[in-house]
Amino acid sequence: MLKCRDIGQLLYDYVEGVLDPPIRQQLEQHLADCPGCIAFVNTYRQTITLSKELREEEIPQELQQKLQSFIKEKLHEPGFWSRLRTRLTG
Amino acid sequence: MSPLDDQELISRLKKKDEAALEALIAQYETKVFGLAVRFTGNHQDAEEILQDVFWTIFEKIDTFRGESKFSSWIYRIATNVALMKLRKRPKIREIPLEEELGPAMTEDGMIAEPVVDWSRLADEELDRKELDHRIEGAIGLLPLDYRSVFVLRDVEGLSAEETSRILRISIAALKSRLHRARLFLRKQLADYTQVPQSSLEADQVGMKKDEPHA
Repeated sequence: MLKCRDIGQLLYDYVEGVLDPPIRQQLEQHLADCPGCIAFVNTYRQTITLSKELREEEIPQELQQKLQSFIKEKLHEPGFWSRLRTRLTG
Repeated sequence: MSPLDDQELISRLKKKDEAALEALIAQYETKVFGLAVRFTGNHQDAEEILQDVFWTIFEKIDTFRGESKFSSWIYRIATNVALMKLRKRPKIREIPLEEELGPAMTEDGMIAEPVVDWSRLADEELDRKELDHRIEGAIGLLPLDYRSVFVLRDVEGLSAEETSRILRISIAALKSRLHRARLFLRKQLADYTQVPQSSLEADQVGMKKDEPHA
């Protein structure tokens, strides 16, 4: 019979879906009957879901422009193309 | 410029085609920016990381041998640049051990305290923006080894294999760090969601030590 402590140790594999079926069954039997572990598993899963759903940060226009001017400046830095030529031919 | 497929992009970058660099930026800036913000928690550092990453890709494109996906290679560069920046900051204390991050256990291995199931509250009642803010704050409390695994795998949604290759760690190391990071975040969220008892549903469980269970 699995104990709550075992559930904690199997939790990662369970949530990743890589637990061997017989062990998974035992784990689910324990869960069916242990509200504390259900709460633990549910909130562990929800933590992952919420993290995946963190809204994608749109890059602010200002940063976009700064990035472009940084790159332009680098490209036209004296010596960049000549260093590059030396590397390509040398 | 319409999006280029990775092969085309790479071969034109290798010829130091400036238009290809522009296309690269247009195609990957959101990804790299997102990663940088998750790692550093602020736009100012993210700005510098963005610049470093794209310039590094342009300079080092010849070292890309096509052994991984192009996006993995970009993730690796972005992760390294972000970590280099963060290592200059004061070190974060270690997070608690795995056993200390889950519910307290009795000596014979059963849960010894009430565990609140706030998972549905997160869908229904809690302010999502505030919750996101909490998660971001908690990610910032993770030591870098844990943060990098968590951000790549759980936030960016990369596979375990891809994450372990990018970070050059074993699957076993990934598993143990990711699990602890998740437990840590879960605990932070649990603390936040401790709302007044009356508004919780009947999910609250108390188990006494002397009550054999399961």
